[in-house]
Amino acid sequence: MRNIRLSVLFGVIGGILTFLFEGWSVAVVGILMGISLGLAISGQLKRKEPAKLALDVLPSALVSCGILLILSLLQNYVITGVIGHSPAPLEVMIPANLIGVLGGALFLLITVALHGLSEGQERIGRLVLLGLVVIAFPFVDNFTQLGWTSLIIFSLIYVLLGMGLNIVVGYAGLLDLGYAAFFAIGAYTTGILSSQQDNITLNFWLVIWIAAAVAAVAGILLGAPTLRLRGDYLAIVTLGFGEIIPVIFLNLTNVTIKEPLTCWIIPGVERLFGATSKLSCNVIANNLNLTNGDLGINPIGRPALPFIGTFTSNNTVPWFFLIILIILLAIFGINRLRDSRLGRAWMAIREDELAASQMGIDPVRTKLLAFSMGATFSGFGGAFYGAYIAGVFPGAFQFSTSIIILCAVILGGIGNIYGVIVGGLVIETADRLFLPALKDFFTNLMNHSVLPALASQKTLHDIVAQNANPILYRYLLFGLVLVIMMAVRPEGLIPNAQRRMELHEAEEAPNVAASTSVKS
Amino acid sequence: MLELKEVHTYYGNIHALKGISLRVEKGEIVTLIGSNGAGKSTTLRTIQGINRPRSGTVLLEGTALETLPPHEIARRGVAQSPEGRLIFPRMTVLENLEMGAYTRKDKTGIKDDLERVFTLFPRLKERIGQKGGTLSGGEQQMLAMARALMARPRILLLDEPSMGLSPILVELIFDTIVTINKEGTTILLVEQNALMALSIANRGYVIQTGEIILTDTAPNLKNNEMVRKSYLGIE
Ligand SMILES: Nc1ncnc2c1ncn2[C@@H]1O[C@H](COP(=O)(O)OP(=O)(O)OP(=O)(O)O)[C@@H](O)[C@H]1O
Ligand SMILES: [Mg+2]
Repeated sequence: MRNIRLSVLFGVIGGILTFLFEGWSVAVVGILMGISLGLAISGQLKRKEPAKLALDVLPSALVSCGILLILSLLQNYVITGVIGHSPAPLEVMIPANLIGVLGGALFLLITVALHGLSEGQERIGRLVLLGLVVIAFPFVDNFTQLGWTSLIIFSLIYVLLGMGLNIVVGYAGLLDLGYAAFFAIGAYTTGILSSQQDNITLNFWLVIWIAAAVAAVAGILLGAPTLRLRGDYLAIVTLGFGEIIPVIFLNLTNVTIKEPLTCWIIPGVERLFGATSKLSCNVIANNLNLTNGDLGINPIGRPALPFIGTFTSNNTVPWFFLIILIILLAIFGINRLRDSRLGRAWMAIREDELAASQMGIDPVRTKLLAFSMGATFSGFGGAFYGAYIAGVFPGAFQFSTSIIILCAVILGGIGNIYGVIVGGLVIETADRLFLPALKDFFTNLMNHSVLPALASQKTLHDIVAQNANPILYRYLLFGLVLVIMMAVRPEGLIPNAQRRMELHEAEEAPNVAASTSVKS
Repeated sequence: MLELKEVHTYYGNIHALKGISLRVEKGEIVTLIGSNGAGKSTTLRTIQGINRPRSGTVLLEGTALETLPPHEIARRGVAQSPEGRLIFPRMTVLENLEMGAYTRKDKTGIKDDLERVFTLFPRLKERIGQKGGTLSGGEQQMLAMARALMARPRILLLDEPSMGLSPILVELIFDTIVTINKEGTTILLVEQNALMALSIANRGYVIQTGEIILTDTAPNLKNNEMVRKSYLGIE
């Protein structure tokens, strides 16, 4: 029953997406829907033979793909009329729907059937499946001209940021409300070191490491004053840090750097002995505009590779695979960290600092390393971001950015790296891809159907015309989603097993009993 | 092995320990008894570095502990099964025990000790995958003690290990303390249950409002008029 509910939900979400993106989108949406529904369902099924499992979810496949097909047809033949678009021609509609519906069903069955294998085999199967999707995605996207890749890349940057923040908040339990500061540090370091702004133009492949290192050091600097603080107080200090850093970058427009040896140390020693200096002070930089204030740094150098050449804005494929690669390395690194002694020290500190110190864990070192490791990943993220948009602008690192990253972590499932990945993808994709498309949809709907009908009532017409823009309600919608999520599924989309147990102890208890009895 | 000399500890301007001096020799069980609020837990917290003495010194085999942070003191071989237990509630029993061995690197030794605490506390073995926070009070008490043992401490500080336990469990805990001691761990035992404590200890100290008012061998204390009246409840 629960599976059917999920199927309806996924089918409807998929269908609504076709309303917004039209044309070929149903093919891509269908397959993504099939896989994600499969992942969601198989978590609740007991392992049995793959073929039997596939048979069991046939109704789910029928329901979800049926709904998708109906909505997609509705979109093409009814909705287009209402919003003043012309329906896609049959030579698009037929293959797109066939791929979406049949492909979606097929992938759903495959994903669920994988659950019939042993745990290790299932994991490998899922990796292969997801790997195929990820590899195919930008090419399919190019072919279907949906133009999603360039926006998904932003989501992936947020995924990386979320994974870093998850170390601080999820593993070590330190609430950080100013995480965007490290993002800013990564991006501005990249900007300063690889633009014409100050005549230093280093290679991106070098800069990205420098940016991460600078962010790591900044993590320790932020950590230091917060060590004695707990909970709420810590959050306030990180909030302050998050506000200070962007302001500092905003104001680094007139920087003079003097070399300490010739300017202070030698003259100082000389004065001590009453000598007068013939040395002149070496000024390294005079009145240097490092960050260009409000206008930001622009353009920033971009990565280049043999065969591919310099990455450009027109071809998003290399960018996409670069960020995927960074994320894969980050997953690997973070998983290793989590299972290391340091990782266990983080968990202990999160649980009870006093008890942890009695186990011989140094709380100061442990917390500083959490801030520092967390910051490292946003250093990478910032460097990639700066290079990708070829500029760094102060507006991108405000408080709201910190909050959105934090929400991605909480929404996805705090403490669980895969949850955080899903959270980052969902939130940023909704923001960058879904909302703008929704806005276009509404604009078209208004202009074509609603406003003409209201022409006689001037005030109403104007009110509707001005307010029918979902982007205006960005934060309202965002807030609503959070409130609903926290009420319905406080443990996040893909929770860490521990937290789910705590939040749903009573409901899950019988399940746990059942699954252990199956094993034994 | 452990020695406190004229230790004064304050909470703000509350003078909780007014010049405590005591010694624990290697291999001994020493008990510290006293009524509520006498300063027993504060004494242990001071040894652990959680509270700092304003004056006086705490020596572990000659090295001063009072300037070291708690984690350094723990690394020098002082482990505590604290009052209020302080186990990690969201970690499993096994994870809690592994945390106890955090500073150790001898994998085989850790494994052996795990077996050892499971032999001492078979109940914990049954609950190996359960979250610490969902254990019963008595089980948490066992876990706290087992976790302290996992550090293979030189000296084990026990703060009211029998608190809130049923008589059978109290018996078990005290038997275990004796066993641990026989295996070579020095023990400083704080107890409300003075009768039990004195029957397993070698020596004892009586603390009253922050001062040691009496010290003697355990059998002598057991027969002491004042101790019998005030702490054993025997007229
Ligand atoms: N954090 C604190 N702040 C202020 N006063 C404290 C604090 N902790 C303990 N005290 C006071 O210090 C004195 C000694 O407390 P302590 O906890 O050492 O007593 P105890 O002998 O362990 O008592 P019990 O047998 O009830 O556990 C008490 O008067 C107590 O009120
Ligand atoms: Mg006490």
